[in-house]
Amino acid sequence: MTSPGYLITGLKRTAVVVAVFISFFPIFWLVSTAFKPYEQWASWPPVWITEQPTLQNFRIVFFPDAAREFAGAQSGSLDYKVSASAWKAFADSAIISSLATFFSVTFGTLAAYSISRFGTGGPSFPFQFLTVRMMPPIAVVVPVVALFSILRLADTYAGMVIAYTAFTLPFSIWMIRSFIDDLPEELEGAAMIYGASRARAFLTVTLPLIKGGVLATALFIFILNWSEFLFALVLTSGKIVTVTLQVANYVSASSGKLYGVQAAMGTVSTIPVILFGYLIQGHIVRGLTLGAIKR
Amino acid sequence: MANVVTSKQGPANRARSRWRIPFNVALILPAQLTVLSVVIVPTVVVIWLAFTDWQPTQALAWYRAEIIGFWNFYDLWYDERFINAVLRTFVVVAICVFAELLLALGLALLFLDEWPWRKLALSLIVLPMMIIPVDAANAFFMIFNEHGPINHVISLVLGRPFEFSWLSHPTWAMLPIMLCDIWQWTPLMFLLVLTGLMGLPQNQMRAATMLGASPVRIFVSLVLPLLTPVIGIAVLIRAIETFKIFDAVYILTRGQPGGATETISMYMYNGAFVYFRMGYIAAAALVVLILVVVTCLALAKPLQARG
Repeated sequence: MTSPGYLITGLKRTAVVVAVFISFFPIFWLVSTAFKPYEQWASWPPVWITEQPTLQNFRIVFFPDAAREFAGAQSGSLDYKVSASAWKAFADSAIISSLATFFSVTFGTLAAYSISRFGTGGPSFPFQFLTVRMMPPIAVVVPVVALFSILRLADTYAGMVIAYTAFTLPFSIWMIRSFIDDLPEELEGAAMIYGASRARAFLTVTLPLIKGGVLATALFIFILNWSEFLFALVLTSGKIVTVTLQVANYVSASSGKLYGVQAAMGTVSTIPVILFGYLIQGHIVRGLTLGAIKR
Repeated sequence: MANVVTSKQGPANRARSRWRIPFNVALILPAQLTVLSVVIVPTVVVIWLAFTDWQPTQALAWYRAEIIGFWNFYDLWYDERFINAVLRTFVVVAICVFAELLLALGLALLFLDEWPWRKLALSLIVLPMMIIPVDAANAFFMIFNEHGPINHVISLVLGRPFEFSWLSHPTWAMLPIMLCDIWQWTPLMFLLVLTGLMGLPQNQMRAATMLGASPVRIFVSLVLPLLTPVIGIAVLIRAIETFKIFDAVYILTRGQPGGATETISMYMYNGAFVYFRMGYIAAAALVVLILVVVTCLALAKPLQARG
């Protein structure tokens, strides 16, 4: 290889290193801050990697006693939100995200099968589900709050699950539909010739073949639900707290000066999402493009 | 199943089946009903609310709110804060999507050939899009703090203390917001472009190289036209998502100072849940919905034409 070739390769590798560094830096800062003791949260010059790593921030997040003790030591300069334990947020998020994922994927699979195999409603019918994804959720937030208040769904698990199910359905339908479209219809036809009903052919032939895709869709929907913020913010008023709300609470408490605590909460809350994300890395492009681009 | 075989019961069966929901429609119903209840019904309610003066602080149920006709829309037209939020959102969408596309194209070209650690580098580069958006904003909140690493690096370069508070400056506060979006979603654009690039017909490229075309020439007149459909989808998806931008704005500035960093979503949140002007914000929502529908219809035609 000639020397300009080496030079270009060297430049390319340097660019990759810079890109990896930039991708990583905010996350590094989040994790690094989570282990900093109180004095180093916002000291100047900032401490990049602390030499006295502590678990105090994580204790404040998870143990009300540690939070009260901390708030007491700061002579009441921190407000009540700090003392609320994050266990409740994790439990609520887990309940709501799991239930909404279950309904979204179940309804989505049924609808996708109907669209894929019967062409229900004509070729443009599935696009109406996409409009759910296109319009800004803030545009329906005001009427949803109005409706939920008379139906007594505001600040309830049921209300959150309904909202999350509706707003992830387009992903379920389009993603699972792309998996069903990949399967030849003759497989079901063969089962039906041997006397199986439509439903039976679907359950015993099609579903086992697309279960990998359905599982990937479920994990993808779970990530979306776990990360959702706007609906959690407007549909709850204290009885229900999701992880994203808890992060926002820490950021806004005491005008955002709880760096260590909010970093600890941010680090822990995002771990499940990163794990699931890497599990379905091959499907994430299909998911975010609603099945338009397959890998 | 037995009654199907006996021909006598045939007509009765058919008559009954007229009142039955067909199998394929029954499969769609749960999904359709959910979407109806949370999307279509609220859209109808928003039309009603847009012509009222509903404010929850008046302790009047929304369905009994006073009808004030088109006054909300008249006020919106002269509401500088609203108009600015709309314009600001379009600027944010344009800048973010363009930056993401450029960065993604550049990155994708680096990942075309095989090299050691390629897979690991790829996994690390897509990390930002795996993170909860609120946490990404949380990280940027700390990085752009007066005492954060950005100011630290700048002061090291300048050789004097630099303690600029990015998030409370009316213009500069938009920078962290946009950088947060670009940082988080360039990986998605990158994966899409890379998928497109890997799927290009290799023999055409080889033919062009053998005929003596320069790499730049190949990129401009062969690669880009072939990539257009993928880039089109990527830009469309990112534009739609960036148009809704809320999480980063809420965490970083909440639209402060004085509404100088409000996007459409942030403006409407503040109006409805800080100032409690529900009727007025419903009118804004209606305007935004119409805006989105018109834009989508305008975009749908060329997309459908291309297939």
